[in-house]
Amino acid sequence: MKYSNAWHLRDIILLTLIAIFFGVIYWIVGPVYNLLTVALTPVGLGPAANDILMGIWVMAGPLSGYIFKKVGSATLGEFLGSVVEMFLGGQWGASTMISGIVQGIASELGFTFTGYKRYDWFSLNLSVLTTTIVTFGWDMIRNGYAKYNIGLLIALFVIRLISTWIFAGVLTKAIVKLLDRTHLMQTQAR
Amino acid sequence: MNPSFKFLLAVLIALEISFTSTWIVNLALAVIGLLLILTSRPTFKRLILLFFVPLIPASALAVAILLQSNAGVHFALVLFTRIYAYVFVGSAATLTTTVSDLVMSLEQNTHIPSKFAYGFLGAFNLLPKIVSEVNIIRAAGNMRGQALHVWSPQLYFKAILASLDWSENLAEAMTSHGFSEEAPRTYFKQIRVRWWDWLVLLGSLVLLQVALFGFHLQ
Repeated sequence: MKYSNAWHLRDIILLTLIAIFFGVIYWIVGPVYNLLTVALTPVGLGPAANDILMGIWVMAGPLSGYIFKKVGSATLGEFLGSVVEMFLGGQWGASTMISGIVQGIASELGFTFTGYKRYDWFSLNLSVLTTTIVTFGWDMIRNGYAKYNIGLLIALFVIRLISTWIFAGVLTKAIVKLLDRTHLMQTQAR
Repeated sequence: MNPSFKFLLAVLIALEISFTSTWIVNLALAVIGLLLILTSRPTFKRLILLFFVPLIPASALAVAILLQSNAGVHFALVLFTRIYAYVFVGSAATLTTTVSDLVMSLEQNTHIPSKFAYGFLGAFNLLPKIVSEVNIIRAAGNMRGQALHVWSPQLYFKAILASLDWSENLAEAMTSHGFSEEAPRTYFKQIRVRWWDWLVLLGSLVLLQVALFGFHLQ
């Protein structure tokens, strides 16, 4: 089956609705992030909370990429998720959108590298990898990760990779598998 | 100020201070952001939250720098103030703009396709329904002795099924009310870009460069 790259009203609404669901979930995760950060701060590991929860924040990207199979769908899904979180009163205001775009492009890259032709376990894992690398690079600049000693830096990267793999990889695959069984949408590889 | 310009400015500022390390500029931006927030007359509770919630990530980053790196107190201070600048500048944009104003402005001033504008807006207005749907899904799971957590695929699966259903209905409803994807539209509420929008946008950016450069030389 050939997928068209044009966005129609129904797709846009569906994408926004999915983004809103994720936005609501991100918003619920916010307090968990704060608690975890408070718990880890005294030993100087506060930023690890960000890496532990990273997977949840980047889920909307690969899932939208997988569901819509259009160029830009992962970026748009993740970005809209961040916009929704922003308007729900997420703690970061308009700056949320920057993270949304960075994470969206990061997960989109996984699908770009396979030429938007493969939608399977391989491209999902590739997306997990690009997400981890790109978002980590961004945190090295923005949150000053680049200054940490190398041991901590590697530990944070591994934590983030595992978290992203569990949520954006394994969990996304499980969700898509459930959707496949309903035959409501073409989620299989073309 | 024009909503699109306001958000563009907030994002550009946040982007720029991500790459610079001048804590005085960060602090000044946070103060300006705070003043703008105050003009929107926020509730006392929100104001308290605005002050205390960023304290958590800000101190986490600062403490981590002090304990886990050799970057020193100055960089810790930069990160600490950077988080506050992010939050206050970002909230100054969100707290003074409604979703529909932003979407209308994006459609009329930046010319994003109207199907995106109204598709987003239509879906966004379902927000309260979605929050209750998440609760319903979880309650339905609980009744069957099945606790649904953020890591349960069923939670997302059911959410996506509900989204599929609603998107179909909403798109049909919009089409039957005469919404057409490609047709040109007229606007009931016109949002214009005025000369002072350009002035504020460019002026603020120039001032920011001057300030960053000035403090960098010291």
